[in-house]
Amino acid sequence: MNAPRITRALLASCALALGLAACSASNEQTTGKTLNITFFGDNTTLVSVDPFQVYWLEHRVLLRNVAESLTDQDPDSGKIIPWLASRWEVSDDALSYTFHLRKDVTFSNGERFDAQAVKTAFDSNKAFAKELPATFGATYLAGYDHAEVIDDFTVRLVLSRPNAGFLQATSTTNLAILAPASYKLTATERSLGKIIGTGPFTLDHYTPEVGARLVKRAGYAWASANVKNQGAAHVDVVDISYVPEESVRNGLFLQGKTDILWPRNPFSEVDSKLFQSKGATLQSRSLPGPALNLYPNTRNARVLADRQVRLALQKSIDRVSYAHTIYNADFPVVSGVYDVTTPYFKAQTEKLAYDPQGAEALLDQAGWQKQADGYRYKDGKRLSIRYNLTPAETAGDVLIQDQLRKVGIELKINVLTRAEWVAGNSQGNYDLTSTYMTRADPIILQTILDPRTANSATLATNTYEPHTLETAQALFDAGITATQGAQREQAYGKLQDLLTDEASAFPIYERVWQAATSPRVKDFRWTAEGFAFLSDIEVGKP
Amino acid sequence: MTGYLIRRVGQALLVLWGAYTVTYFILYLLPGDTLSIMLSASGMEADGLSPADLAKARAYYGLDKGLIAQYFDLLGRALHGDLGQSLSLNRPVVELLAERLPQTLSLAGLAILLSLVGGVGLAYLTAYVQWRPLKVALTRVPSFGFSIPVFWMGLLLIQVFAFGLGWFPATGSKGFESLVLPAITLAIPSAAVYAQVLQRGFQNVWQEPYIQTAFAKGLSRAQVQARHGLRNAALPILTLVGLQVGNTVSGAVLVETIFSRNGVGRLAQEAVLRQDIPVVLAIVAVSATAFVVINLIVDLLYPWLDPRITHSPKVA
Repeated sequence: MNAPRITRALLASCALALGLAACSASNEQTTGKTLNITFFGDNTTLVSVDPFQVYWLEHRVLLRNVAESLTDQDPDSGKIIPWLASRWEVSDDALSYTFHLRKDVTFSNGERFDAQAVKTAFDSNKAFAKELPATFGATYLAGYDHAEVIDDFTVRLVLSRPNAGFLQATSTTNLAILAPASYKLTATERSLGKIIGTGPFTLDHYTPEVGARLVKRAGYAWASANVKNQGAAHVDVVDISYVPEESVRNGLFLQGKTDILWPRNPFSEVDSKLFQSKGATLQSRSLPGPALNLYPNTRNARVLADRQVRLALQKSIDRVSYAHTIYNADFPVVSGVYDVTTPYFKAQTEKLAYDPQGAEALLDQAGWQKQADGYRYKDGKRLSIRYNLTPAETAGDVLIQDQLRKVGIELKINVLTRAEWVAGNSQGNYDLTSTYMTRADPIILQTILDPRTANSATLATNTYEPHTLETAQALFDAGITATQGAQREQAYGKLQDLLTDEASAFPIYERVWQAATSPRVKDFRWTAEGFAFLSDIEVGKP
Repeated sequence: MTGYLIRRVGQALLVLWGAYTVTYFILYLLPGDTLSIMLSASGMEADGLSPADLAKARAYYGLDKGLIAQYFDLLGRALHGDLGQSLSLNRPVVELLAERLPQTLSLAGLAILLSLVGGVGLAYLTAYVQWRPLKVALTRVPSFGFSIPVFWMGLLLIQVFAFGLGWFPATGSKGFESLVLPAITLAIPSAAVYAQVLQRGFQNVWQEPYIQTAFAKGLSRAQVQARHGLRNAALPILTLVGLQVGNTVSGAVLVETIFSRNGVGRLAQEAVLRQDIPVVLAIVAVSATAFVVINLIVDLLYPWLDPRITHSPKVA
């Protein structure tokens, strides 16, 4: 009789566990048209969907559809076009910007969008940047002094020092205008999703590491000219989820459980073929800002202090085979220090050509002789380069290692935790390191390569030899104080030449952002920042 | 008995304090500091800021106290039930745990249950089967179950049961369906250990004289195994269950990542990487408490289950 009793006890405890578990929240049912987007993992280091603080690309995609900006940027020409401001004037000294606002705009909580709201937004951002100078949005706001309300729908933003990127900054997600009520909340509350904007969607909720839900806003009618659908969104709900595990994410897409698969890194060739065979469309756009560049440490008598060696390194990287083997045959080959979608981009294709013979000749001249083991030596020391990266090496890193080995350079791939990597950068304990930022204005490079404004002054200083640093800073100054497009073009053109000629940046690949859209998704379109206008998207039967 | 209990609770508190302190100082020994990580996360490196701005940022994140002062501050507040504020998640730690803990507890609970059912069931079957080839095959199953990597098993289950058959969702933490695959994934290695230990237990028990006696009384094989075999062979399982509780948080790290679940395991892993000290300390404190409490309960259960064991000191 004992055996049945044990079975019964086990069954009873199973039933109890099942019952308890079943008590947790059940699946929410949705009605109407829902668009499902799956991103890779959420940002767990800085949890925030406050536009001014956010640098995480995926959050900026979400926010672009909730909060809007004074201006917009044409994704094709890079030109600044009207949005919440219908027109504007810039003073001759480029220090005062007068915006004439649309009169028909309201925030989703019913508040009117007017000059006072714009002033509140800019002043609140400035105050936050003062409290936390490291916040990402601070770089966009550089030079902003105060706002003057001219009348209900005219506002003048006054800068204390020139910032040629300011007009573009007003088009970005980071300087989106939130409702005055949002700024009455703490930064923490905004970070966790209390975001009220004027966009075609409202942020229903954001659960860190799980997902977010956007709900269509009825009566929306003030899209910029970039959006084809000038009225309310076609879909009722956008469900966003964060799935860190790649195979699971891909599986969800192949099963039709998600409509847009949007990981951070471009798809491999195998995955792209698989998705396309199921009728999916691959959407791609180069993210504006610097390409994926490696930055050298030219200081303290390190091996890359020698320009000859840097130029040899530049020639030893086969960027065509990188793009084609790591990604696919259609993947763009990087052709400059910036990605092609950055305004004032200047191609450096010739200078970045693969030339192993040229590299070997340069290294011979520099006194690095090849020995029996295939590596080069000088004074008994091997030509070895320490490349710091985090959090894990990629196939691309190994490919570069292999390419450099062919000309006799040893690339030591030094995989670090983020904390070690940050420390390595600030102590200059590396030969090569890499970082990037995304913004559709060449000014963004100042946050990486101008020691006066860069996130890491050490990295920015180390990337140039001392005499080059002065030239570079003069060009950065010329770029930011320029008032005419032609002046900016000249300054940033020369800067790009300088970085390539001095081998102060080693472009590796174009930072292409790819999303796979299922056959039921129509009209996916990129913004200038590399995000998407979700109100344009229609979901239907494939 | 009361003396024993007081001693054990005292030991438990000492273990908790030790775990808390060691974790705190290990986090400080890690390369890089919290401020650099926080700044780097918001797009800035510490060396790009002026000393005045650095001081401001330090104050903003509440990192302007010394190593020891901060330790006593955190410990003092923890003793009053205030586990502090997560630096990067922008929320009180207590609130985070209240949100994440139930997810991991239901996962761990179901996993322990499944591993007991699976492990005990397999060993019971192995002991009952008399056909030699099948018995040998069943004896080999635990080592197989133990050697399959958890992440691979998780992906395989997703492939078959979520994508192939569509029985369960592949990801998420909503509802019971989403709990099944992760719990099975987490249960397999522990079930394998239980089965292994119990199989060995049965082997030894079968040789005991009381088994002979039971057979001599005229009981059937099934009755002997259930009434005399299992009860005697199963005692070590109790210790293992106690230990498994400690392993659930580490096991949950992988399982929660694969199944995109929002539990304490993933929280712990990410908090360590970004040196979010209050969060790591709270998780260590909670899991150490769970571990200590369960093991105390296990120890107290022993004499009740096996009257031969007693905690009273033996005087010669």
